[in-house]
Amino acid sequence: METPVRVVHYLNQFFGGIGAEEHANTPVQVRDGPVGPGRALQQMLGESGSVVATIICGDNYFVEETEAASQTVREALERIQPSVVVSGPAFDAGRYGMACGLISGLATELGIPSVTAMHPDNSGIVVYGKDMIAIPTGVDAAEMQAVLKDVAGLAIRLGRGNELGPADEEGYLPRGYRRIVNRDKSGAERALEMLTAYVHDRPFTTEIPIRAYEAIPAPAPIANIREATIAMVSSGGIVPRSNPDHQVSSRAENYFKYPIEGIDELSVDDWISVHGGFNTVYLNTKDPNYALPLRYARRMEAQGEFKSLYHTCFTTAGTGCAVSVAQRMGAGIAGELRDAGVDAVLMVAT
Amino acid sequence: MSALPSVPLSVGANRVVRGVRVEHVCGDPLLSEEQDAAVGMRIVATAIQSLQTPVDKPTLFEPLAADASKEATHVS
Repeated sequence: METPVRVVHYLNQFFGGIGAEEHANTPVQVRDGPVGPGRALQQMLGESGSVVATIICGDNYFVEETEAASQTVREALERIQPSVVVSGPAFDAGRYGMACGLISGLATELGIPSVTAMHPDNSGIVVYGKDMIAIPTGVDAAEMQAVLKDVAGLAIRLGRGNELGPADEEGYLPRGYRRIVNRDKSGAERALEMLTAYVHDRPFTTEIPIRAYEAIPAPAPIANIREATIAMVSSGGIVPRSNPDHQVSSRAENYFKYPIEGIDELSVDDWISVHGGFNTVYLNTKDPNYALPLRYARRMEAQGEFKSLYHTCFTTAGTGCAVSVAQRMGAGIAGELRDAGVDAVLMVAT
Repeated sequence: MSALPSVPLSVGANRVVRGVRVEHVCGDPLLSEEQDAAVGMRIVATAIQSLQTPVDKPTLFEPLAADASKEATHVS
């Protein structure tokens, strides 16, 4: 029989039996053996594994004093030398999930495999999902036993140094990695099988899952446009000719703001597009207003079609941009405009 | 305002105005200066109009619909 894998288990102050929210500032402590749900985990591990220690920390302490908490955990892991680290399950508890993500990161740093479990929307997944093995859970701690059974299964295999297979087969959340594998049938055969299943209304699994975009509720129309302040935004890489913020031509991670007060139109002498995703010759030799139509917006403003243009425009170069980066930039622009009392946006997406 | 409206529509933008081409969304340098400006003006005016129009899902607004043949040649 194989030597039992040595498991270190991480719990927050609640599951660690210290107390509820009033104990959320409890610093890191290390106890011998299993605690709380760790006892059930021990049962699931059976003779294949042993929970040798439990690390407990308050939810606030870990996210507020991350450096100090991480240092204590790192020292404990170096001392105990577990073969695998288990954290949670955190279900939908955000700070707990963040701590579990940090724990997985620390384990990885030390070359120790780890597994955690939490709800797919937990901020721990949102922030650290790509870097950890996490089993999806619901929001209810009542499923603790079932989750721990899955956690124990992966913990044993990881602790023995086994490689895990694909996420959907092993039951952890996809991390977004692609690996090269050999299949029995060629792509043409598999595509034909998929098509046949599709036309016969039989179930099939795509090999290229498409990201599902979030549905954005349509904002209500503007009731009185003549009272509206309107801002101009462009992803066409429009910047002042000197490119003062050093906007990049591709994979931009920032947007920048430029004053347009008192400017009637974008002159080709003063503005340029640094966008690297299309031919910018028309923008840069003829008319930058093609990608940020200030000239026409000013005319409508002068005609009283709306109250005024916001004094600042927002631009980025939208090419090679990850969805998460675009979401961050979009949220940043929208937040600034909302705080400034802007009613609507004219945006050019190139 | 986008020259590839299927993209913003597919990712959930609710008010999308069709532009001319990616290289010149709000206008057309191949036209006379006057016509170029008229196209740009129509696109921006359509965008302002769209802001006053109730929609309940991603919706395409066609500024150049009056000139269908031109529109078709410019959609890439």
